Amino acid sequence: MSPKRKPRKVAIKYCGCCNSYVNLSEIACHLVGMEKRHGDFVLVPFSEDKIDVVIILCGCPRACGNKEEFKSRAKHHLLVAGESVNGRATPQEHLIETAQEELENTLNIQNSPSSRH
Amino acid sequence: MSMMTGKQYRESLSKLKPEIYYMGERIESVITHPAFTPHVNAAALTYDMALAPEFEELLSTKSHLTGEKINRFTHIHQNHDDLVKKVKMLRALGQQTGSCFQRCVGFDALNATYSVTYDMDKKLGTKYHEQFSSLLKEIQSTDIMISGAMTDPKGDRRLSPSQQKDPDLYVHIVEKRDDGIVVSGAKAHITGAVNSHGHLVMPTSAMKKEDADYAVCFYVPVDATGALHIFGRQTNDTRKCDCFLDQGNAEYGIVGGEALIVFDRAFIPWKHVFMCGEFDFAYELVERFATFHRQNYGGCKAGLSDALIGATYALAQVQGTDRASHVRDKIVEMVHLTETLYCCSIACSCQGYAMPAGCYMADPLLANVTKLNVTRHIYEIARLAQDITGGILATAPAESDWKDPKIGKYVDKYMKGIAEIPAETRIRLIRLLEAMTCGTALAESMHGAGSPQAQRIMIERRANLERKKRLAEKLAKIGDQPKLVY
Repeated sequence: MSPKRKPRKVAIKYCGCCNSYVNLSEIACHLVGMEKRHGDFVLVPFSEDKIDVVIILCGCPRACGNKEEFKSRAKHHLLVAGESVNGRATPQEHLIETAQEELENTLNIQNSPSSRH
Repeated sequence: MSMMTGKQYRESLSKLKPEIYYMGERIESVITHPAFTPHVNAAALTYDMALAPEFEELLSTKSHLTGEKINRFTHIHQNHDDLVKKVKMLRALGQQTGSCFQRCVGFDALNATYSVTYDMDKKLGTKYHEQFSSLLKEIQSTDIMISGAMTDPKGDRRLSPSQQKDPDLYVHIVEKRDDGIVVSGAKAHITGAVNSHGHLVMPTSAMKKEDADYAVCFYVPVDATGALHIFGRQTNDTRKCDCFLDQGNAEYGIVGGEALIVFDRAFIPWKHVFMCGEFDFAYELVERFATFHRQNYGGCKAGLSDALIGATYALAQVQGTDRASHVRDKIVEMVHLTETLYCCSIACSCQGYAMPAGCYMADPLLANVTKLNVTRHIYEIARLAQDITGGILATAPAESDWKDPKIGKYVDKYMKGIAEIPAETRIRLIRLLEAMTCGTALAESMHGAGSPQAQRIMIERRANLERKKRLAEKLAKIGDQPKLVY
């Protein structure tokens, strides 16, 4: 039996949300739900040290949060910018599941539920 | 060769033999024919200014493909700074020419095609982007001028391309061969077409499966067999041939010089084909080109307006009205409107974003707002200029009468404003104002880069009205109340 892995630290950083095209809060709420269900990661404040993944949530393709200063705070980063996830065009209705998939890939989490709440 | 001078540009055009018609005649040379020289001069300035120390920072840059110094008009935007510099470059050029310098259309076509071919290859496994990048390298290294040819004649606007009685009303593929395709049809209102080295032809609207033969994008040299050009008339265009001063802006003209390009079974080799039936990418290409082109208008038109405001202010001084409070107020309004347009272009550039191809694109919503404002503000700026100028704008005697040995003294005497300034100064300013505000130049602001309704359609598509509704519902406490998280 392998020892239980220590939950990875995931932080969320918003662009500033001046005029969001998409509902970023919905994505963040879903991540909070994922955290509770999985136990594989823990959401921490962006100010925390040694973050594993920073999820940068930007309301539009301008992606004001896509900057080195934010990305360098963690080993990995995931970028939502308007209707795109990590540069891949993603319609608003698929943003949550795509962001979840990308996070799971980054954390190597298998078979997680993808339902919205 | 890398960057050309204006002189080299003219020499390079003289080596080409495009088929051009104007006023019932076959035109042998656009370099020497007076109907074309202003447009050649304006385009030549895009070459000379790129090499001038004052402007090289805006008009030249480094190729992301080769690392070589290139003219910005052949560049693919690599960041926000490139998008902003494009607008600044256009304003600087507009100030110097007071007219359209044509080269932005091909520039925008290059940028739109670059990103769309990348996306097509990713999704479809085609090789268009690689082919296009090869052509782009060639364009950058030879510094040739490319026109962007999008608008088809369209025939019956109620019908799609494939539904038209005459299939040639939209450019289409008539034959696919082992070595390339054969196309027929026409592109209308193509700026700078007759003094470009080649055309980048793009579809004009969204296409359905049945329109697949019309979803075609290709490059064709200006003097290719099967391509001919019919140059359009402009307001007061005969003045180019029979006078100088009455032209108002004899060096650079009043607009870009637009032509109808006709393709009559023109052959395009595969290496110059960048879309061939992929109908579901036609709209992407149209929208990206339109966004890039609409981004421009608060740059170039602001530059033109700077010159127009200067002419209006100078004329008010010549006529002794410059201290009148209502004249000063109107000039302030002209400045306000001009800078509003510039703000729009700068804003859509700063709000631009990276594309999957790595290049940058202006914000489509703000770019469309920019152009829609141009369809109004330029008219208002022109109206104020005409108001301050007075009725003489429409009634000034001819240059030939001013020079006439018998009656010239009367023209000189009665065209004078304040005593210290010669009548000639007033006549020259009036003619410049006439050229810039009375005729084709205004229609160009209305319909260039698409008519106002085209901008409204794109604005509605990107308005995100549902989100605005949610904002209102939150304030009015209607339904579920969204919460802020983190």
